[in-house]
Amino acid sequence: MSTVNIDKILKRVQKPTRYSGGELNSVVKDPGGVSIRYAFVFPDTYEVGMSHLGMKILYHCLNQRPDTYCERVFAPWVDMEEELRRENIPLFSIETRTPVNEFDFVGVTLQYEMSYTNVLNILDLAGIPLLSRDRGEDAPFVNAGGPCAYNPEPLAEIFDFFTMGEGEEVIGELMDAYNEWKAEGGKRIDYLKKIAKIEGIYVPCLYDVEYNADGTLKSMVPNCPEAKPRVRKRIIENLDEIVYPDKFIVPFMDIVHDRASLEVFRGCIRGCRFCQAGMIYRPVREKSPGRLTSDAEKLLASTGYEEISLSSLSTSDYTRFEELADKLLALTEKEKVGLSLPSLRVDNFGLSLMERVQKVRKSGLTFAPEAGSQRMRDVINKNVSEEDLMRSVGLAFDGGWQTVKLYFMIGLPYETDEDVAGIARLAEKVVELYYASDKTNKRRAPSVNISVAGFVPKPFTPFQWAGQNDMETLSRKQKLLKAEIRNRHIKYSYHQSDISVLEGIFARGDRKLNRVLVRAFELGCKLDGWSECFDMDRWRRAFADCGIEPDFYTRERSYDELFPWDFVDIGVTKDFMMRENERAKAAVTTPHCRLQCSACGAADLCAGGRCSVYKEESSLNKIKELKENG
Amino acid sequence: MADERILYDYYLIYEKTGAAKYISHLDFVRTYNRAMRRAGLPVAFSEGFNPHPLLGFALPLSVGYTSECELLELRLTGAPAEAEIRDRLNAVMPGGIKILSVHRGKSRMKKLRYALYYVTPEHMPGSVDAFLQMEHTVIDKKTKSGIKDADIRPDIKEIRLTDGRMEMLLSAGSDKNLKPDVVVRAMNKYIPGYDSGDCEYHRAAIYDENMEVIN
Repeated sequence: MSTVNIDKILKRVQKPTRYSGGELNSVVKDPGGVSIRYAFVFPDTYEVGMSHLGMKILYHCLNQRPDTYCERVFAPWVDMEEELRRENIPLFSIETRTPVNEFDFVGVTLQYEMSYTNVLNILDLAGIPLLSRDRGEDAPFVNAGGPCAYNPEPLAEIFDFFTMGEGEEVIGELMDAYNEWKAEGGKRIDYLKKIAKIEGIYVPCLYDVEYNADGTLKSMVPNCPEAKPRVRKRIIENLDEIVYPDKFIVPFMDIVHDRASLEVFRGCIRGCRFCQAGMIYRPVREKSPGRLTSDAEKLLASTGYEEISLSSLSTSDYTRFEELADKLLALTEKEKVGLSLPSLRVDNFGLSLMERVQKVRKSGLTFAPEAGSQRMRDVINKNVSEEDLMRSVGLAFDGGWQTVKLYFMIGLPYETDEDVAGIARLAEKVVELYYASDKTNKRRAPSVNISVAGFVPKPFTPFQWAGQNDMETLSRKQKLLKAEIRNRHIKYSYHQSDISVLEGIFARGDRKLNRVLVRAFELGCKLDGWSECFDMDRWRRAFADCGIEPDFYTRERSYDELFPWDFVDIGVTKDFMMRENERAKAAVTTPHCRLQCSACGAADLCAGGRCSVYKEESSLNKIKELKENG
Repeated sequence: MADERILYDYYLIYEKTGAAKYISHLDFVRTYNRAMRRAGLPVAFSEGFNPHPLLGFALPLSVGYTSECELLELRLTGAPAEAEIRDRLNAVMPGGIKILSVHRGKSRMKKLRYALYYVTPEHMPGSVDAFLQMEHTVIDKKTKSGIKDADIRPDIKEIRLTDGRMEMLLSAGSDKNLKPDVVVRAMNKYIPGYDSGDCEYHRAAIYDENMEVIN
């Protein structure tokens, strides 16, 4: 065991508190007193990684075990990397400044495709071989989880294993298996075979992959009895019974989300057809207001945070929202802290709630209509009408807000130029609404900020078969929209189209992309999510050097194609996604889970095959009501 | 609008050492606010649109500096005993920040004129006599209006070389303020053949114009 001395280089870097550690509530243990050391890696900078809830949860889960010490590792910023390389200092953990290659596990959370090169850079800075097959018996087990792990294939040669789904339970099973394996004195491969038997674990080297002549996947089969032909994701069925951190680490520097967050529920009832999160986290499972309020009290006391935020995919869909808001607002008013409610939907956003939140602190308002025309919103199953949006924005304007932000996508399947121009029309109507109301302050001008992203088809969505717009098409649509915006109160911003395309390539990629990734890293690609670091020319060269055609990955796919991610069982079936894609073509919407079950398949993940929606109090009441009324 | 609440003034002296030396001043303000909440002290908030705790720092400390004489004024809506405030804050502070003493009333921070720093370089200079005899010591210095050449000589009151460290008494406060890293840069520039290498900076005391310690 060793530690690195970074005192000297900390003086020379821009933001030393990214690396210096010692934050309140960071876990201090004697590394000599544990049998397992786990380096939890967030493959981006400290201020991004420290905002991530999943990391806080798993850090807490692992450190609750007396036999395990989990420490944090982040991607160094450019200046720190230069210092580390010049001084020949290996990448280290924040808590004890131990070199990353001395840990037993290096666990990476994969939140977005554009962080993949950071994973390679981190392994390289730690002196760990980039490819799984090159790692020796003493190397850490390099593993990954998180939403991008649902299509693990573009990283299959890099990671030793992947975890599919929610980690609270399975991470403990992995640690128990490690202790057993250590006691048995087995080889590295023995551990991997041992955990391949655990539900939710995928060990890429235990599968053989064959391709058709056209480059599509022919077959993917286990090469040993331990590996499962299909890997089913893990879920926690009852969130009230699972551990949640009572302390968050309080960073010294200002991070992206610097606040106490409460996870209100997992999953989503909505079924927007572009949304991967809405499918992979199914079925919806709620936490009780009582549990959430006690989580909030503990977090405020241990952190001193001045803001609580509710976290979920669609906060206003929480069935006991009023009850929770009552309880939380009583707490926040007493403690003089703010309550922020991201992810509110435009169709069930209430005035009374907004006024009550406003009493404490006014935060910005963001709505996500996602598409400009009603036809397009029906295609993507957003189930939001123009009236819904106007009603909500109108409430906001009347409530004293002048600035609203609207999120949209372009490049959606079955999209026409009129649909794109519809974004401008909708934004204009929002501006007009401000001037039409007799409650708004006309001496101040409204500001309507529209943010437009390029659509990226993702695995495990009804649009996983869709072709992705190329850069030229996306740029043309961006320009078209820009020309359509003639109102000076509308501010238009859009994402770089080359990043969207690259994201799409890796999202639906296969094992062949491992080579491209390694080559891109060798050419200097890193921190691709940061526009000041992203360099598309290097990526183009990496694809060319590997003889791989990027267009292969953005093409439209047929229903009979075997996908690299088909071996992962998320509960929701491929058949359901096909049905949804067909409805999209016809611009037919599908009602949400509480209105009508669409038999997506996620109920299979729950005990007795009964989806959690049926266990919700409100759903039970509705069923009772229906029965009583015959 | 006049603040009609009954508020109680306190000030405290704290030290900043270890990893805490990397916390910037702005981040430190946030760290303190949160510590006050955790300690459950009856903090007085400003009455504006975005209420913030009423706190005042005597002299911001640069990133990388340690100190044993930081002064902070605060206002409370109640009147707990001084020792209670000290103990409750120390119980919830991150490592490296320690409250040394708490006092009732207003501090003398507005009288601040000088600060004493201990500078520990990798290499000590042989002598600073010639350096101190310079009439003008011009060096580029960060000011409110950008980086400018400035004569820092009038703001160096004293430099003493002791065993392995330099003790610098420099102008401090909102009017004139000189930081010891600027002095070290000037020494590297003007003392022939001198290269300090990396330095440790520590603030040891603050004084008023009569060289009375403010604490």
